Amino acid sequence: MENFVYYKPQTLKECVSLLEEHPDAALLNGGTDLIIQMREGLRIPTDIIDIKNIPDLQGIKVGPDEIFIGGAVTMSQVYDHPELSKLFPYLCDAARSVGSIQIRNRATIAGNLVNASPLADTATPLLCLEAVIHTYGPNGTREIPLNEFFVFVRKTLLEPNEVVTGISFKPDALDKAVFTKLSRRNEVDLSTVCCSVGRKGGEYRIAFGSVAPTPLRLLDVEAYLKDKELTDDVRREAAEIARGTVSPISDVRASKEYRLDMVANILEDALAILQKEG
Amino acid sequence: MSTEFVGKSVKRVDGVKKVTGSLKYVDDLKMSKMYYTAIKRSPYPHAKILSINLEKAKELKGVKDIITGDLFTKRGGLYLQDKNFLAVGKVRYRGEAVVAVAAITEEIAHKAVSLIEVEYEEMPAVTNAVEGMKPGAPLVHPDLGEYKVAPVFFPVPGTNISNHYRLRKGNVDEAFEKADHVVENKFYIPHIQHTPIENHVAIAQAEIDGTIQIWASCQSPFAVRQAISHDFDIPMNKVRVMSPAVGGGFGSKGGTTLEGILVPLAQRNPGHPIKLTYSREDEFQNAYVRQGLHATIKTGIMNDGNIIAVQNEFIWDGGAYNEYGVNIAKAAGYASSGPYDIENVWTDSYCVYTNHPVGGPYRGFGMGEMHFGIEQNMDILAEKVGISPVEIRRINGMRPGGVTGTGEVVEVAGLQECLEIVAERLKVEEKEAPSAPHKLRGKGIASGWKAPSMPNTAASSAIIKLNEDGTAHLMVSAQDIGQGSDTIMTQIAAEVLSISPDKITIRTGDTDHTPYEWQTVASRITYSAGRATYEAAMDAKNQLIELAQIKLGVYGRDLELKDGFIVAKYHPEKRVSIASLAIGLVFDDGSAVHGPIIGRGAFIPPNIRDADKETGLGDHPVAFWTYGVQGVDLEVDTRTGKVDILRVISCFDVGKVMNPQLLEGQVEGAIMQSLGTALFEELMLKDGKVLNPSFVDYKIPTSEDMPEMEIYFVENPEETGPFGARGVAEPAMVPAAPATANAIFDATGIRMYTMPMTAERIYEALKQKGVSK
Repeated sequence: MENFVYYKPQTLKECVSLLEEHPDAALLNGGTDLIIQMREGLRIPTDIIDIKNIPDLQGIKVGPDEIFIGGAVTMSQVYDHPELSKLFPYLCDAARSVGSIQIRNRATIAGNLVNASPLADTATPLLCLEAVIHTYGPNGTREIPLNEFFVFVRKTLLEPNEVVTGISFKPDALDKAVFTKLSRRNEVDLSTVCCSVGRKGGEYRIAFGSVAPTPLRLLDVEAYLKDKELTDDVRREAAEIARGTVSPISDVRASKEYRLDMVANILEDALAILQKEG
Repeated sequence: MSTEFVGKSVKRVDGVKKVTGSLKYVDDLKMSKMYYTAIKRSPYPHAKILSINLEKAKELKGVKDIITGDLFTKRGGLYLQDKNFLAVGKVRYRGEAVVAVAAITEEIAHKAVSLIEVEYEEMPAVTNAVEGMKPGAPLVHPDLGEYKVAPVFFPVPGTNISNHYRLRKGNVDEAFEKADHVVENKFYIPHIQHTPIENHVAIAQAEIDGTIQIWASCQSPFAVRQAISHDFDIPMNKVRVMSPAVGGGFGSKGGTTLEGILVPLAQRNPGHPIKLTYSREDEFQNAYVRQGLHATIKTGIMNDGNIIAVQNEFIWDGGAYNEYGVNIAKAAGYASSGPYDIENVWTDSYCVYTNHPVGGPYRGFGMGEMHFGIEQNMDILAEKVGISPVEIRRINGMRPGGVTGTGEVVEVAGLQECLEIVAERLKVEEKEAPSAPHKLRGKGIASGWKAPSMPNTAASSAIIKLNEDGTAHLMVSAQDIGQGSDTIMTQIAAEVLSISPDKITIRTGDTDHTPYEWQTVASRITYSAGRATYEAAMDAKNQLIELAQIKLGVYGRDLELKDGFIVAKYHPEKRVSIASLAIGLVFDDGSAVHGPIIGRGAFIPPNIRDADKETGLGDHPVAFWTYGVQGVDLEVDTRTGKVDILRVISCFDVGKVMNPQLLEGQVEGAIMQSLGTALFEELMLKDGKVLNPSFVDYKIPTSEDMPEMEIYFVENPEETGPFGARGVAEPAMVPAAPATANAIFDATGIRMYTMPMTAERIYEALKQKGVSK
């Protein structure tokens, strides 16, 4: 690992000016992706800007119109939050499925999204919740819908000098949802395939990870399912459409063929749970 | 015999230091004037080294020395001298060490490595052992015929075969003619890694008089000394190897590993300790790996379930250097019948050079790999003749008086007792319901056996020094690599001397100060070092009794040691304390005799003889056999192919349970390691490249994966072992993997011929069978 200069700004403003001054700087939030990338030489930042204690990035706000998760909120803060775990168990399940306890005490939801891995575990429930990314940069604040945020593998709409200040979504975005993660080992593993399936009235929202260059919504399947009763045949047909919509690759974790089968099986089973539990 | 400390769950003597983190491992050692090493490694599996340009690296500030292989061309190796610590002339695997840099910081050393330019000419590579055996395959070691080799191994010059082990008992061809059924099955077991929690690390320092001091995380300080002495022509009194603590080995720190890279750097920079710590990526690619195995097993069975012949072909993918791996082919060869009494046995076990990472010792030493085939084969045969998996093992399983594949008559064999206990506890023939409609439940059992895979002369020694206050120091060179040997040795000494374990301090791992031990491998430490410790304690005890009989006027035969005293059995009021005799016996007139009491113990397993070179037959080729059975109850998810292990039952004949708590823990660990190989672990190799050199994509089980485990033992004593004990560390990881495969078959009707049995592989098979869609 190369040497770097370490900064610890106290405000977002200070943070953004540091970013402007140091074009090869990296933001350190949880650090669970950054440190690994630095160790492997994939990123060689000249400066590290530690944002994890900036007051504006802290806290979870549960309001009547909006849930807001601060940019420095960790995975374990999410699933340990009494209201979030009651209202959004599938989001908490996703957060709990990331890494180990030690990692989850450091890793942040914002970092998970900004890292833009195709298999980001917390991306699929947030896509179903139609979450919005809040940013702060030299030109002020922006709000970016999560389903537009991911551009490609490890590429997002975030500008170089911007910071994610938080993630928000509507409290009533979904009536119910199910998170499923398939991995080689149950604990401390990356997703082979991960998925969230949610229902709002007669509409369904379906998002998958590790089946395309970015986590993605399966809009064709959602359109097919709209206002339909979830019979065995409907679920099977939805699974078949899903199989045709995604484009997984083969890698050391699984083959493309297995992932395609798992997309179909997981979706079919998740829909069955929604159907059964109403 | 009633015992006070042996057989009791004495707390680990190293426990507090390990749990609190206060124990200093080699990587914790910081010394003044230390240089740090980094290694330039080969990017090709097989290539000629054309040129090495060190100029830019040498100019880097902080770089102190750089060495290449052509400076030290003498080959070494434990059984077959085929290895240099740095590549000479060509590289034979991707990751082979080519250049070593010493610098004032690790960062500078790594930076220097990136500045070294090596020009290679790629050569055709051997990336499959079966292909590598064929005539015309590229030769990994064209000079094999010139290499020095121990006389019990059989390299085939002009080929990639580094050892061709043969076993020929009876007449298999005739037996196959006679058999009611003949079946042949093929199995493949991939390379895996040991993944000890502590990476390999060593420090070497040269003194002005030429003495080399080495601190290494190693299982076998004396094996390291032997290798360094040989390879660098240094007399043994000028090589000191210390292994202060080892954070897990599982075989990967057996023999010699990275120490030899450091010795020349130390010699060229006297006074500077030279340190090298492997990264986790190094561990996966550049430390020993468990060899791959291609196994073909052909068996002849009669309708009554009696197996009359077996013919095995084992082809071991030994990797680039087979100095240690040749013995895995041998060990598997002489154990190739499995724990069964079979009249006709024919085995060819080949260790084959490939351009893969270097194979070496791994817990089980060939048994885990081989039994994955043997034990599934048993179930296949049982089904063929319509008997149960338990019954076929009852019929063919070893019993006292049975005969092994090499023709040895076995006197002690607890296999049948283990089988009945596991069958009963697992309720193996009772179908139980799965937890959900899309799951299938099944049970399977497997047997296993193993002998210590060591030279006939593998010896141990121990010294016990009594202190003036009646406490003692015990010195052995058995290394506690997590298995608990420090505690077991202490218990043995405590038992014989009748002083409590907390009054004995054990010191290990310093070739200048602790006595000879061949290696901490082969499940031989409780047996062999334990026996030496027993002898040392008996020697000290005899000296005490000799003095006490003078002091007490009681004949030695009527004296015993009790709670720190030598006591007259029939007149317990007559007694003298160990403390008062520790430095000698003092008479009433003030004069004294004898001097300090030092007990000496030595052990070499008795009467182990070489087998016949042509046939492999031998009446006593190993110290003992350890037998056991494990059973697995599991579920398979037909939607994903995932296996959930519900319960594992284990029973081994250990001769004597020395410490119930430690032994149970050791067996549980062994089961988890076995399940890891069964379900997750594979070093994925493509064109000689390891595709998953990290824990991100090489998965071992976590505590969450632990099933309910029931651990049982039977105790048929091993007469040459201390208190009747025999080894179990490795045998205990043998059966769980094939038992898992047999349980998967029981659940699904699919046979898995390859490890690991990943969810994807099982799902694929279920789909082909029409169970999953």
